[in-house]
Amino acid sequence: MGGLARYLTLVPSSVMIGAFFAVPFALILLTSVSTPDDAQDYIYAFDLQHFERFATWFYIERALFSAGLCALIAVLSLLIAFPFTYMLTGFGPRAQNTWLIYILAQLSLSEVLIAFSWQILLSRTAGLANILVWFGLAEKSFSMAPSAGAVLAALVYLAVPFSVLLLFPALSRLDKSLIEAARTLGGSPLRTFFTVVIPVTRPAIISSGVTIFVLTLGAIIVPQVLGRPQHWTLSVLITDQAIFNFNMPFASALAVVLLVLSASVIFAVTKLTGGNKS
Amino acid sequence: MKSNLTRRRFMATTAAAGAAAMASPSILRAAGAPIRVGTYGGFFEESFKQFIFPEFTAATGIEVQSIAVPTGETWLVQIKNAARANTAPADVSLMAGTPRSEGASQGLFQTLDESKLSNLGNLSDTFQDRNADGGLFGVGGVSWYITLCTNSDEIPEAPTSWAALWDDQYADQIGVLGLATNSFLLEVTAATHFGGTDILSTKDGIAQVFEKLSEIVPNVRLWYKDEGAFQQALQEGEIPMGQYYHDVAGLAAAEGFPVVSTFPKEGGILDSGYWIVPQHVEPMDEVHEFINFMSTPETQALLSRNVGTAPVIDPALTDLSEDELAAVSSAGAPIIPRYDIYKDHADYISDTWNKMIAG
Amino acid sequence: MSDLNIDGVSKHFGSVRAVEDVTLSFKSGEMVCFLGPSGCGKTTLLRMIAGLEEPTAGSITLGGKDLTRVPVHERGIGMVFQSFALFPHLSVGENITYAMRIRGASRSDCAARAKELLDMMRLPGVEDRRISQLSGGQRQRVAIARALALSPSVFLLDEPMSALDANLREAMQIELRKLQQELGITTVVVTHDQTEAMTMADQIVVMGRARVLQTGTPMEIYKTPVDRFVAGFIGTSNLLPARMTGADTVETCGVTLRVGTNVDRHKPGDEVLLMTRPEEVFVGHKPTKNSVPGRVTFVRDIGATIEILLDCAGHEVVSVLTPKDWPEVEIGQQVHVDMPEAACSVLAP
Repeated sequence: MGGLARYLTLVPSSVMIGAFFAVPFALILLTSVSTPDDAQDYIYAFDLQHFERFATWFYIERALFSAGLCALIAVLSLLIAFPFTYMLTGFGPRAQNTWLIYILAQLSLSEVLIAFSWQILLSRTAGLANILVWFGLAEKSFSMAPSAGAVLAALVYLAVPFSVLLLFPALSRLDKSLIEAARTLGGSPLRTFFTVVIPVTRPAIISSGVTIFVLTLGAIIVPQVLGRPQHWTLSVLITDQAIFNFNMPFASALAVVLLVLSASVIFAVTKLTGGNKS
Repeated sequence: MKSNLTRRRFMATTAAAGAAAMASPSILRAAGAPIRVGTYGGFFEESFKQFIFPEFTAATGIEVQSIAVPTGETWLVQIKNAARANTAPADVSLMAGTPRSEGASQGLFQTLDESKLSNLGNLSDTFQDRNADGGLFGVGGVSWYITLCTNSDEIPEAPTSWAALWDDQYADQIGVLGLATNSFLLEVTAATHFGGTDILSTKDGIAQVFEKLSEIVPNVRLWYKDEGAFQQALQEGEIPMGQYYHDVAGLAAAEGFPVVSTFPKEGGILDSGYWIVPQHVEPMDEVHEFINFMSTPETQALLSRNVGTAPVIDPALTDLSEDELAAVSSAGAPIIPRYDIYKDHADYISDTWNKMIAG
Repeated sequence: MSDLNIDGVSKHFGSVRAVEDVTLSFKSGEMVCFLGPSGCGKTTLLRMIAGLEEPTAGSITLGGKDLTRVPVHERGIGMVFQSFALFPHLSVGENITYAMRIRGASRSDCAARAKELLDMMRLPGVEDRRISQLSGGQRQRVAIARALALSPSVFLLDEPMSALDANLREAMQIELRKLQQELGITTVVVTHDQTEAMTMADQIVVMGRARVLQTGTPMEIYKTPVDRFVAGFIGTSNLLPARMTGADTVETCGVTLRVGTNVDRHKPGDEVLLMTRPEEVFVGHKPTKNSVPGRVTFVRDIGATIEILLDCAGHEVVSVLTPKDWPEVEIGQQVHVDMPEAACSVLAP
């Protein structure tokens, strides 16, 4: 009886989720296996030619590159965000709120805006290189973009606020007496950080990392504005196919590959790290 | 100025698609109702509304309802979907080369009545799109040049040939458009090294051209999709050379930036939008009158002066001064894009291009 | 050897004075309880000994060595936290040997020490369990074992019993006291529970409002509290307003009584409180040479003892008697409460 009532209350939200997520996904899936047709681009069928087109070293290499790049960004942004967030939880509530509002405001900056700001920041005429020249570290100013470093820097910049906000709840809930206990047992602050703070908050670190990974997989502007074509991710190719080449079936097939890629990373990470610890 | 810089940007696609979707289908149209004219959203549409449509209404008494349309194939899909419901999203609209040849092969456009287009003779054959049996379905509307642009501070002596793209001395200094379908670099390569674009008629030929084109990759610093990004870099000398829109380069130079646009001896790339009429459009007389009006020397001059496009008719017919003409075009023979190859070999060109630019 | 000295220590958090000018000295091997209501500064004082807070003023020395500026992890103390603070990501054994592993002890040494400590805590064979699999009492034993793993010179416990239920609490108090005596380790326990303090402590430090109010053995504090606050905090007491009439006499409830304790701190004419402990006053039908009149308001016979509640001139007085002293009174009867001279002490009001 009670069980049935509980299921019934789930119905409206399930329908919403179904309508907003499942239907578009089903359409993408259907389109990805459609077949070309003379009268109207493509018709729904079961044709794997778009996946066959993907299965060349070029596209596979792109997919692996995207995964590697986003994994690196997830790691770097956590390396920056974690110590900062840890320190942030030690601040007073006022300072905490100010910082959190500032970081939240950062999220409102679009990828486009960030990409172009970094382009200026890394340019020859108005960029960081001029500071190097000023300090005598470089002979004359040079342009730092497009380059892999520029893509990495801007995407990490984009990901750090997310990382902070994802880590903050777990770190602020962390029982401070655990840290004190480790200190009384002879752990230096650094040692305590590595042997207690990080292991205890590991689930939050992993879920933040996975979230950042998936989030940056979808970045399309930064790789194009700050990177060379060899730094373009699978998402850029999807956009090209969908918007410029208008090859919806192939774009859908690439999107399905991207989806499978991120799903398997999430699965692998939770499987490998979630099993042995509570 | 800003909107001028972005007028061909593909980012306008989404906004324009939304606007077009809201335009009501013509189920019944009362006499004297406005015709719906689709032009590329942004600066184009604004200029047409301000300078062109009032002139047309004054001349013919026909009202115009302006519709912003996307440059890409999105617009073709909207026409296609509307055709299934026996309607059209606009009565007449501009369309770029590749989707135009695709739409024609799918029979999405009406054949025009040449007897109602007295000014058609002003247009050369390249600006008259015909299907296999000779029926006219597309009439040149506006065109613009992509040329070789340089920063005169960094490169005082501007190269006069597209061959400069292959020159070692410009290693990592060149910016070109990021897609095969909007850079037309296959055509440029064919015109520069293979004596013309005929070689692109076969897949083997395209492969040969790609082979040659791939030699420029070490020279290319930026494969841009956003005009603003390249113009910024060009003006600052960060990327001192590349292909760019002739008219916008001219505006930048007029503002004092050290930017020079050169028509290479092989010709500038002449890209253009043609007027097409979707199936199920009813006010055919008014539409013909519109296309005819757009093909007059007066209207073409008006466009050159106010929208910055090159005339699609013989410039001698217009009253444009030499300077005015130079601002939008050149006398030399242009490189005309081979829109057909992007339809026939779409996947091959897109994959080969992607591999090539990724090094 | 490891005498603990606290000298003029204060701790201010902004404008809040948590601990104010505390000076204390404990002998090696003593068990000390900091007793007081919450917010009295006892935990802050303990944390300063641990090094988790830095004193605003004063110094702390252990066995002659100044600890005041020594960082926590170099102090060599063992501490049990109120929440036990066991590491959830480590097993019981790994928790206990955390300090040893930091110092690079071998795997076999660690295993041996963990076994030894768990045997001592009467919790054998749980090395591989997860913390989440333990009961509250077991967690406390593990926390104690962890704190003692490196045989620290000072053992600190912050409200160690507050997370346990009442039955377990009493058993643990005795067990902890035995353990401490066995190991002979200088121990400081913070508690707000007077029974706990009375059960375990060699020395009780009663704190209130950031200061030390009284230091002494449990009996000293019970018998001769310095003021009303301490008296109220340790055991139950009967307090009657009184006025000094002579060097060792007071007037209260219309009679004059002789006072045997604490009397030299007050002079004739002072307003004072006459304090007696319930088990030291008796009830009878006739006045004695040191008694006050009163009326029986309630009688509670719980077998081993009988409690008689009385009203003496509007103030409540309790007498706890053994059955052999039972005066056979009824509720409402007018009686006399005998307060022997030695049982009477006076406090500042």
